[in-house]
Amino acid sequence: MIKFIAKGLYTTIQDEGRFGYRNIGVPYSGYMDKENAKIANLILGNPLNNSLIEATLIGPTIKFEESTVICITGADFNPMLNENKISLYRPIEVNKGDILKINNSSVGSRCYISIKGNIHSDVILGSKSFFSQITKSSVIEKGDEFKFEVNNKEITHKYTLKKFKVDSNIQVLKGPEFECLSKKSIDTLINQEFSIGINNRMAYYLNEKIQDGVNSIISSGVIPGTVQLTPSGQIIILHRDCQTTGGYPRILQLNEKSLNNLAQLKTGDKIIFKLLNF
Amino acid sequence: MEFFNLSENSLLIKWNGEINSNLTKLISSYKDEISSICKNDIKDCVQSISSILIIFDLNRTSISEIIEKIKMIDYEKVSKNNRKIKVWEIPVCYDLEYATDINLISVKNNISVREIIDTHLSKTYDVLSMGFLPGFMYLGKTDKKLYCERKEKPSLKIRKGSIGLALDQTCIYPRQSPGGWNIIGISPVELFNINHKNPCFSKPGDKIQFVEISKSEYKSSKNRFDKPKLKEL
Repeated sequence: MIKFIAKGLYTTIQDEGRFGYRNIGVPYSGYMDKENAKIANLILGNPLNNSLIEATLIGPTIKFEESTVICITGADFNPMLNENKISLYRPIEVNKGDILKINNSSVGSRCYISIKGNIHSDVILGSKSFFSQITKSSVIEKGDEFKFEVNNKEITHKYTLKKFKVDSNIQVLKGPEFECLSKKSIDTLINQEFSIGINNRMAYYLNEKIQDGVNSIISSGVIPGTVQLTPSGQIIILHRDCQTTGGYPRILQLNEKSLNNLAQLKTGDKIIFKLLNF
Repeated sequence: MEFFNLSENSLLIKWNGEINSNLTKLISSYKDEISSICKNDIKDCVQSISSILIIFDLNRTSISEIIEKIKMIDYEKVSKNNRKIKVWEIPVCYDLEYATDINLISVKNNISVREIIDTHLSKTYDVLSMGFLPGFMYLGKTDKKLYCERKEKPSLKIRKGSIGLALDQTCIYPRQSPGGWNIIGISPVELFNINHKNPCFSKPGDKIQFVEISKSEYKSSKNRFDKPKLKEL
């Protein structure tokens, strides 16, 4: 069992996500940065879509009531095990009674703490991923306890050569309503610098606006990575917890790689949209 | 019918033309056909008012393969499809205690409260799409007499089961939530139950018929009313 002594800023359990219910309005949820989450599972020999802990900006403090092996990937939060600094992207042995303090990130927003085996948490509609309207809790609270099952599979990936990095370039495809944009708007949008404003698991709002906004459309499907433009010129990039349909024009679409990268950016960080040919 | 590659693993199909029950029926038939012929390759098939968004599994198929399969669908067969349409009977209590905005609509649209209720009850609505919240249904179209803008300032707390009006649509709130729709009633029906394998009885393409109930009927059936009555047309 593990126990949360401190909860951090926004700590959740996530797996790959909740698929097959989008037609009735259920978001995908799931790891914000899929690539790093999967690496944490890979290193421990867990199934790639195993549930793990996602920490955001300020990490939790976790007490281990049993011995196991963990792996931390993603942004470097300066994690410490019993006051000793530990490495990322490596299997780390923890003993009964050990205290893991994740600390804070300097570069990047999210880190993943994978435990060898399987964290017990309610499976709702096929997924353990926390989401306020579906699962009992939306975030982990101080004092929360989770059981886990240790698998005895041998760890084969001792480490990876993966280096964590964030990129200000965001690769995008043209969205279904890209053609609604004026030439001037396109010039403002592509290859120019924007800065990230309010953001969470649902969406990233950009601080700079596009001068001429566009009219709403007949509500239609959206997915994580869809970039919406509101009539007032606000740019919104949808992320993993986003709703299933929307009425704002979909001007751009992030690819999976850039969606993972965006999950590691934070308020004030700069981004530049780079248009890809499909 | 127009195709658009939204992302590496998603395809948008758009229909142009007037939004009416015939279009909803056509899109529903396409959705059923696509879901059945691409069953193992798609993760989700999201039906909206004039589009379908298909999210597929890149390990099993490709965008060109999906488009090929969809193009093979016989339009004649799909458009003539006489599949049975599910019509769900949803009880609504229009008592002023719950219908917090009905007086406002009455004044703005110059129509009596009774007439609002009768007009709302007079039509069978298409489930056009779902979203905003799990189980939140966009229903249309409403009668012109009920047309109203969304509230300028959204309410912070709309009761679970509330029936709303905005533009030419009506809706049911599956849970308590903030929202901008004008509230004209409340239903005791449980719209979204995560403990069921199929958490929502209805889906886009079905129809909804409202029936009026009294305040006491609402109070006595609240929290017990799991699945509404079904008629098939």
